[in-house]
Amino acid sequence: MHNYYETGWWSSSYNYPAKRSVGTDPFERIERMASASAVVMFSMSTCCMCHALKRLFCGMGVNPTVYEVDEDPRGNELERALKRLSGGTSAVPLVFIGGKLVGAMDSVMASHISGTLVPLLKEAGALWL
Amino acid sequence: MASQRLGEAALSESGPSHHHHHIPYSLPHMLHHPNTSFIRNQEGSAFDFGELEEAIVLQGVKINNDETKQPLYTTVRPAATLEMFPSWPMRFQQHTPRGSSKSGEESTDSGSAVNTLSTTRLEPDSPISRKTSSDHRLPPPQMDTGSGVDSPRTGGSQTQPAAKQAPEKTLRRLAQNREAARKSRLRKKAYVQQLESSRIRLTQLEQDLQRARSQGLFLGGGGVAGGNISSGGAIFDMEYARWLEDDHRHMSELRTALQAHLSDGDLRVIVDGYIAHYDEIFRLKGVAAKSDVFHLITGMWTTPAERCFLWMGGFRPSDLIKMLITQLDPLTEQQVMGIYGLQQSSQQAEEALSQGLEQLQQSLIDTIANGSINDSMHHMAVALGKLSNLEGFVRQADNLRQQTLHQLRRILTVRQAARCFLVIGEYYGRLRALSSLWASRPRETLIVDDSSCQTTTTDLQMVQSSQNQFSNF
Repeated sequence: MHNYYETGWWSSSYNYPAKRSVGTDPFERIERMASASAVVMFSMSTCCMCHALKRLFCGMGVNPTVYEVDEDPRGNELERALKRLSGGTSAVPLVFIGGKLVGAMDSVMASHISGTLVPLLKEAGALWL
Repeated sequence: MASQRLGEAALSESGPSHHHHHIPYSLPHMLHHPNTSFIRNQEGSAFDFGELEEAIVLQGVKINNDETKQPLYTTVRPAATLEMFPSWPMRFQQHTPRGSSKSGEESTDSGSAVNTLSTTRLEPDSPISRKTSSDHRLPPPQMDTGSGVDSPRTGGSQTQPAAKQAPEKTLRRLAQNREAARKSRLRKKAYVQQLESSRIRLTQLEQDLQRARSQGLFLGGGGVAGGNISSGGAIFDMEYARWLEDDHRHMSELRTALQAHLSDGDLRVIVDGYIAHYDEIFRLKGVAAKSDVFHLITGMWTTPAERCFLWMGGFRPSDLIKMLITQLDPLTEQQVMGIYGLQQSSQQAEEALSQGLEQLQQSLIDTIANGSINDSMHHMAVALGKLSNLEGFVRQADNLRQQTLHQLRRILTVRQAARCFLVIGEYYGRLRALSSLWASRPRETLIVDDSSCQTTTTDLQMVQSSQNQFSNF
């Protein structure tokens, strides 16, 4: 699974100063993480719907940045915050494109079917012709 | 029973050489129980003198036999081979043991055993029995008229000892034809009975449905849904049945609206109404998924033909688009692009959901397989948690279906959309009709019955040849 897309921030380059991550409000963290890449997905390694969404992006040729919330040391508060953001029953998967919240699985699929997802991805630079 | 029969078949091998391969059944039994014959009633067919004549002729072929009452059965042998339905529809009338020790043996068997034996009464017997007992149709064949029946036989055997070889093939063929015709009649009868019972069941189901709907409850048991459905599933089945009726109504509305060439505005109202109608079923499915996701995902709420093409608890959107592409002409180039784009995106979404579901299944398998005895409760709890994700997939699949229909509406003009939804409705209507037709199609093995299907291989060959003749039935 992890071969197809980038892994979380804590396992890649440590260019975030430590004090920034400590004591930061989870919403701020989420916003920061979401703005860091064109396509950002919050996921959990055990979540099958997240797997489905990852497959959807891969099938479209998109390389999302995936944060596995259950592997985050402060994952619980992240999860709660994500749940609030999604406005629904599940925290993951949650997708941001171009730093803006797109939504959970149903929103992404609705966007794809209605033909608005691809332009959005192109605009964010995640897809080229 | 079967071993008995086979034994008897072996015994009967000692008979006339050109007949031995035809004889499966209880010759010795017949010999022992001469009284248990002639009971078969051939309904609907007139008495055939040809059969009587054949029987008399064939008598000449009988083997020597110690039994006093055997003539009846030896003549029977050639046609015996053709007896393929040993257990007759209950025209069989019980004979009472009349004091003959041999028939007494037989009558101590179970009713079905006696039945099967009596059903090995062969073609030539029946006309004779009918001839002798046609007036009263009684078990008299057993004892009393046994002797009465004997006499014409013995008389017959005396009159024509030598006239056997020439007409034998013809006679055999005649017998085969008669046998096949009789089987065909029986099949037809059974089919008609099946139809009747289905009709009765259908009216009962309709009544139950009416009652249940008016009460807004599932009645359970022998009601609409039968025994094995949860209340959530049964409630959904009822709602779905009602939705199908509404669907029918919407379709008629669409049809008349298109034919009447209504204005676009009026047509739009009707089309939007149809979309709302579909939104409603997706909403109902969402509710049902919470209470019984298996009912949805296994397709128990649909007809068998639809179930065959089921994907994640419903129709596959890309299949629908594929079907529609040919039916939606004429389209503008932009519309064509839109439709193909819709086909592609729905395919991608389907693929993604399918892979997600596959991962769920794999994870579930791992959990269940790795449960140890000590840890079983924990593993079960984990498995239950994973199962609960099924609902999410069915929801997403329905969401995909709903979005596909909405996108179709957006791509097409009002008139095109009206035609499109009419096509969709008709398509699924035909699929449902196909299921009903399939379920009620006549089958060749209609009359194959429980205890008495013990035939030898030669008999099976005979059956197949006669069935092929009448396979168009």
